[in-house]
Amino acid sequence: MQKLTIRLLLISGFLALCFSCKPYQIKDAVRKEDPVKEFKNSYFSNPETDYVYKAHITVYGNSLGGVFIAKRMNDSIHRVVFTTEFGNKLLDFELSENSFKINYILEDLNRKIIVNTLRDDFRLLLKVHHPVEEVLENQDATIYKTTDGKQFNYFFVSRKNNQLLKLVNASKTKEKVIFGFESKNSSFADKIIISHQHIKLKIELNQINN
Amino acid sequence: MKTKTAVVLFLLCSLGIWAQEQKMSASEVANFKATVEKESRNIKSLKTDFIQYKHLDFLSKDIETSGKMAFKAPNLLNWQYTKPYQYSIVFKNNKVYINDQGNKSTVDAKSKMFEKINKLIVGSVSGNMFDDKEFDISYYKAKDAYIAKLTPKTATIKKYIKEVDLYFPVNEGTVSQVKLIEPSGDFTRIVFKNKQINAKIDDSAFTN
Repeated sequence: MQKLTIRLLLISGFLALCFSCKPYQIKDAVRKEDPVKEFKNSYFSNPETDYVYKAHITVYGNSLGGVFIAKRMNDSIHRVVFTTEFGNKLLDFELSENSFKINYILEDLNRKIIVNTLRDDFRLLLKVHHPVEEVLENQDATIYKTTDGKQFNYFFVSRKNNQLLKLVNASKTKEKVIFGFESKNSSFADKIIISHQHIKLKIELNQINN
Repeated sequence: MKTKTAVVLFLLCSLGIWAQEQKMSASEVANFKATVEKESRNIKSLKTDFIQYKHLDFLSKDIETSGKMAFKAPNLLNWQYTKPYQYSIVFKNNKVYINDQGNKSTVDAKSKMFEKINKLIVGSVSGNMFDDKEFDISYYKAKDAYIAKLTPKTATIKKYIKEVDLYFPVNEGTVSQVKLIEPSGDFTRIVFKNKQINAKIDDSAFTN
């Protein structure tokens, strides 16, 4: 009897431990035995297209508008420019998976935390080819999991129309940034919402017909 | 050999383009300034449509936005984009009112910066920027327009703007086109259309 109690205690303790530092998991998703090696995010992949969005940023209660412009320059590099409505540049970055160049940044914005946060968001948003580590599936979506150092990215692709709906950037245990996409076709996102879970930062992008 | 011919041809063409833009003589400058200053002194109100072209060298097409602006002396200003999105900025009673697609915010405009922006916008449309201490100005004449080229004097402005070109159609004392050139060479070009000077503008035009 005592043995059983101890065993039960041990098991519940172990379970409690497990749940208290529960790894980040997607509800109702099961692993799919599908040997997919790569996920392609097509939303910023066409080098012929000028991607232009009206941007609205809210950061700790302050809001800021502007125009977000992105272009794929070659296989690995994207150019990203953020301007005010009047056209003056606030920032101008060139980035790839492992390179980063600031062509211009307004002095007031040139803070390490701002630059690094935007660099990481844009890098993930714009990168086209992602090596897949695991494929999961729930009722609505096929989920492609990729690893990026100590972080993980989950691409939620609609099972209905094969469109990328959501991208979650997570640490081992928590969601860090959620990218939501609305698209009329799978090659172009009409609306993008980037919500940070740890800092009060939200970036909303609405495509402008240019 | 072919390349050489091409280069020579290109040079000739570019010389041709330059030749179309000539520096004004001192007396021409004096005349031109007098006309513009006289015209802008008489401006009590101003209404115009505009098209803005944002040129970035790496894009295949300029980004086009358009809207309208209204100004009433001494300091009411509404600059409003209507296409492809709604965004307006109103300068009124030392305050700046922004309406960004329904998101409204207000900024205190007592700061020097907003004073400068207001002056730059009104000056750009009316053309009265000649007594500005911030810029060096040179004057050119082309076939159908006079061009005032402003280069900033202070290091603060030089960081943002390399040159501002104001185009005045011959026989008109106000600006038809503004080109703001950034240090990188990328630029914003704003073309004014359907300009009305001293038409009646209701104060309600300055709310957003």
